[in-house]
Amino acid sequence: MSYLFSYDYRYDDNAYDTETSNKQVDVEDSIGQIYVKYVEPGTAQYGGIFDDTMLRLHRTKHEQFVRDAMHGLSSGFAVLDASQPWLSFWSLNSLDIMGRTIDSTTRTQALQTVQRFQDQRGGFCGGQGQLPHLAGTYASVMALVLVGGDDAFASINRERMYEWLMTMKREDGAFAVHEGGEVDVRGVYCVLVVASLLNIMTAELVSGVAEFVARCQTCEGGLGPYPGVEAHGGYTLCGLAALEIIGSTHVLDLKRLARWMSARQMAFEGGFSGRTNKLVDGCYSYWVGGAFSILQRALSRTPQDDMLYERRALQRYVLACCQDMRIGGLRDKPGKSADLYHTMYGLLGLSLAQHYVGVDPQTRITDMTSVYSVPARMMQWDVVTSAADVVGVSSNVVKPVHPVYGVSLVPLAKCIKYFYALPPLAPSL
Amino acid sequence: MRIEDSEQAEEAVSLAQQAEWQDITPIEQDEGEGSMCPIAYTDEYRELMGYLRAVMAVGEVSERALALTARVIEENPGHYTVWVYRKRLVEELESDIAKELDWVSEISSKFPKNYQLWHHRESLVTRLWAPSNAQSVSEDQRVTNPVLRRELQFLGAAIDEDSKNFHAWSYRQWLISTYALWTQELVFVDTMINQDVRNNSAWNQRYFAILANRDPSAVHLEADMAKSEIEYVVEHIKLAPNNDSPWSYVTGLLLRHAPSMLYTDLLPRIKQLAADNAYQAAMTLTPFYWSALLDIYEQQAADHPDTKKQLVEESRAICDQLASETDIIHCRYWNFRKTSLDTC
Repeated sequence: MSYLFSYDYRYDDNAYDTETSNKQVDVEDSIGQIYVKYVEPGTAQYGGIFDDTMLRLHRTKHEQFVRDAMHGLSSGFAVLDASQPWLSFWSLNSLDIMGRTIDSTTRTQALQTVQRFQDQRGGFCGGQGQLPHLAGTYASVMALVLVGGDDAFASINRERMYEWLMTMKREDGAFAVHEGGEVDVRGVYCVLVVASLLNIMTAELVSGVAEFVARCQTCEGGLGPYPGVEAHGGYTLCGLAALEIIGSTHVLDLKRLARWMSARQMAFEGGFSGRTNKLVDGCYSYWVGGAFSILQRALSRTPQDDMLYERRALQRYVLACCQDMRIGGLRDKPGKSADLYHTMYGLLGLSLAQHYVGVDPQTRITDMTSVYSVPARMMQWDVVTSAADVVGVSSNVVKPVHPVYGVSLVPLAKCIKYFYALPPLAPSL
Repeated sequence: MRIEDSEQAEEAVSLAQQAEWQDITPIEQDEGEGSMCPIAYTDEYRELMGYLRAVMAVGEVSERALALTARVIEENPGHYTVWVYRKRLVEELESDIAKELDWVSEISSKFPKNYQLWHHRESLVTRLWAPSNAQSVSEDQRVTNPVLRRELQFLGAAIDEDSKNFHAWSYRQWLISTYALWTQELVFVDTMINQDVRNNSAWNQRYFAILANRDPSAVHLEADMAKSEIEYVVEHIKLAPNNDSPWSYVTGLLLRHAPSMLYTDLLPRIKQLAADNAYQAAMTLTPFYWSALLDIYEQQAADHPDTKKQLVEESRAICDQLASETDIIHCRYWNFRKTSLDTC
């Protein structure tokens, strides 16, 4: 049954309003004003058919937005001074997903910029003269994956990186994000992504990780940053992706997780919220959308089974509501301004909804627990072209991406090929 | 002069022109030509950062360094490195922690979504009153202890400002577990739920407070506690049946900690509500009621295989109804649920 647009799908507050329901109603009002332009007049109340041909991804505008940012950011961005690797990653990845070339000048620029964030003691920092940070490390490594090339990969000091990651390791299996920093599942994700890409996975590094992530699952079914804290889309992706890397998604109550994840898709807006009774936000297109792709694998579902969410409704939300036509780039929701973060995550979510990137349950590799089976397990993910579903004009199609790593498949494969040709760090493992 | 007054006086004058700072050379960032995403720092910010890097590089411990960290933090509270440095300075300079907390509280109102502020509070509070010392007094005494009373007040204000502030609730969990303030927490949670029955952060906190630091994987909820939670939930469902939070809370709680009570106690109460004229329409229309029935029937069928056939049949009908009428956006999930019935 195809999903139509209808005012019937609007939130029913049971004539008992609270701050939550009032905010939801306001958002629906603004989304409704947008959506109604895409359906035939008079049909909206009972189930209007969305005219998808009106939906277009304005690549040129978004590319301009990103390139302007790469060229320079205003003084107000000093608040992101400790997130500089992210600025490069968000930019490079947004361009790559849209199929834009990263020419050799940009490549050199990116490489030089990111290299300056690497700390002698290991890891990458949020900026020069700062402490190394797991998130900055993750963003730097991913930026280098997009830059690509042996020189970029060779610039990463694997040995120091491993030593530093181990100093972040905590007794409960999780990791502090920096010396004296917070411990949460986001840190776990950053470590496992980096370690699995750089071929520095060890049993020691990942010990206790699955147990910690499992404890982050709340009674609602989603995952929070730390045991006990509210289930949240971002942390759910982090936890689920981390478990996928080590082949341990089964430690979660997948049924309860599926229920919570499904509820993230908003009936009227079509996009995802990050928590129960919170508002839709374009960035969850990746956090929750990506989690659905991983869940597909965890439940051994096939492309014929299709995803457990409405891919078309999600794409409509991104295309109709998240594009900022004033300044270019993508945004959280109408009324908010575009930014690099929402641009990248909106595009990632769009990609994962357009393409079916999955693993054929039939071709599963048997040894799933060895840390050295990581590249094999991650490289089983591929695009199933027959299961593609691109909403709007066909030129809306963007590059397929890996749900766990959040980057396109070719640069990822090249990175894995490079690092797994190197010897692992500790021969005894 | 207090530090704050002298700071304000000095803010207008660049550091390079101050006698106090003549002895040290700022360390500039290497912004080679063609950096990606270069930030056009203001001269003031650039200078502050130059001096910060310089004092951090030599590990300087001084009042001027402390004052400098305050200025940097006010410009960029997300600068995690400066927070680590400040923490060390506060310790080594033996600064007045209560005053430090004052300052953190001041900054917080400007930056409600900043993580580092809360993390800094944690270290200050544990220094002011070591958790091990807190253990020796009763909860009533702990709650009235000035340190904790202040934290609870601060948290109350933050949550008042933004009832779902993720960092605030997360810090609150840390505070409550560290100082075992479980009894008062249930009261607080109840207040927040009554303020907005759809506040999921509050409902999540209710689960946290009910479990009270017991290991979730090992808890079996006492029957009377489970019953009273069911009553509590039903009362709040009545206010607005189409509200995910209480439904997710009660099914989640019982599934984990008293699964049989899903069908012995919760089921009759919600069926009763659905049969009640005042609530029938709303209950029928909300997907959460039907979803709860599915969860209940699944547990019941698992525990009583003789009822399985009947329950599976009823569940299939519910899934179909949800997928085609009540909750169409989630139809793919409901279809999955339906196929899962056959295998459970």
